[in-house]
Amino acid sequence: MLFRCIKAERKKLMHSAILPASIIIPVIPTIMGTFNYLQNTEILTDGWYSLWTQLTLFYASLFYAPLIALYCSYLWRLEHLNHNWYVFLTSPVSIPCLYLGKMAVIFVVTLITQLWVGILYIVAGKFVGFSGLCSPQIVFWLLRGTLAAIAIGALQLLLSMMIRSFSIPIGLALVGSVFGMLFSNHGFGLFWPYSLMLAGMNSNKSTDSLAGSSWIFLLAVVVFFFLFYLIAIRILKTKDR
Amino acid sequence: MTSVITTNSLTKKYKEKTVVDHLDLKVPAGSIYGFLGPNGAGKSTTLKLLLGLIKPTEGQISILGKEVNLKNRLEILTQTGSLIESPAYYGHLSGKENLQIICTLKDVPEQEIDRVLKIVRMKEQKHKKVSHYSLGMKQRLGLAAALLGNPKILLLDEPTNGLDPAGIQEMRELICSLPRKYGMTIIVSSHLLSEIDQMATHVGIIDKGQLIFQDRLSSLHEHSRSRIFLRTDQDVAAMNILKQSEIPAEWREGTLCLQIYEDDFVIKAVSTLVNSGIGVYRITEQQMSLEDIFLHLTGKQVSL
Repeated sequence: MLFRCIKAERKKLMHSAILPASIIIPVIPTIMGTFNYLQNTEILTDGWYSLWTQLTLFYASLFYAPLIALYCSYLWRLEHLNHNWYVFLTSPVSIPCLYLGKMAVIFVVTLITQLWVGILYIVAGKFVGFSGLCSPQIVFWLLRGTLAAIAIGALQLLLSMMIRSFSIPIGLALVGSVFGMLFSNHGFGLFWPYSLMLAGMNSNKSTDSLAGSSWIFLLAVVVFFFLFYLIAIRILKTKDR
Repeated sequence: MTSVITTNSLTKKYKEKTVVDHLDLKVPAGSIYGFLGPNGAGKSTTLKLLLGLIKPTEGQISILGKEVNLKNRLEILTQTGSLIESPAYYGHLSGKENLQIICTLKDVPEQEIDRVLKIVRMKEQKHKKVSHYSLGMKQRLGLAAALLGNPKILLLDEPTNGLDPAGIQEMRELICSLPRKYGMTIIVSSHLLSEIDQMATHVGIIDKGQLIFQDRLSSLHEHSRSRIFLRTDQDVAAMNILKQSEIPAEWREGTLCLQIYEDDFVIKAVSTLVNSGIGVYRITEQQMSLEDIFLHLTGKQVSL
């Protein structure tokens, strides 16, 4: 049943603006990060690691969560428009599956975005003139940061489900990300969902801030996911349409 | 005839406002149940209650012998097709792609798509983007989506809204053919009495959330009392004579009208007048129209 829901959600994304957005938007922080790196080569001497700090400074702090928010808003916008809510909720599939179908699609699109960010990072590294490839550790950070999408995706799906507006949830994600930096800087990053991508991707740091404690990060992702997931299911089951 | 949909004291309140008020619906199997009422009477709310889209404040709903609740939700929805308010669609996708999504969710083979598109006569337009469809085409696509999987029950909320006269006629014929061809039971709501009159086998009339009439359509017609109008060469004198003979009569639209229309009674009235030297030159029977009955039941004018 879940597979059917995922298939249906994937179909809804055909001919949509999601794919162009996921390709174009990550280019912006890559350019900003690379430019920043080139401006500060005297102090940024750690090669691939230094470039990572600059790229993720912009991407993870300002673009990642709003991008996921954009995907979520788009997915719910389809249901908010043209009375699709009624069809959505009268489909003979269970309510958790309806929600998890959207969740799965968000995760896959985010994974593709992250892999694209990885490619952009390597292209930027080559452009700057680095030899060889980046350390596998950075690939690990990239993938670990993708897991944060599970918590943020669940939260943004909840927000976009509740708020009919397309842009307000995206704005909230941006505000959340700014607060995310503050929480991270004060060491409370794992208690604020928008800080999780900073922690996961090891944003703006060249040594792993989660070294040896990745499991706490994972636990935070799981707890936030279940919290938002359960709220969303409760609302879907009880709210009148 | 067994009822496939029954509600027992179904009530929906929003704060203090009662939108659906102790409704006891009985929808017989294989019927086209015309759910009639003025705008804002509670029709859409009732249909949404039946689908579980909104939760009742009190009362129960039973569909195909199962109580409507979260536990039975899937079982009921599998056997139900619906078209609520305006048609729902994903505008950036083609008609076929829209139906593929419904097929996937309903777990119905995609071969069904051509079948339902044929029923609603939309095969030619299936590759066109739905946002480019006319309202009538969207409405027919919505019906096609509801028909996917051959549901036992079809709930159609004002399905002819916004259609042109030819579209209305087509939709009506389509709906009428479904119970016969596919053994479906259909609830179709409308604020148009004439429409229900042409489609339904059974009627429920709702006004201010209350069911004020529910029976076969033919029984609604039986409510339509006849009136006998008499045209004479001396109407005033004729009225006096009828009164003296204790034959109840009244003035209606400036014409003499008998209040009782049984044959014996008409014979008595006419012979009394003729014997008193009054010339009777017209006896006309006028049926009370369904509109009159509706007005009589609801006490308000409906759009016709």
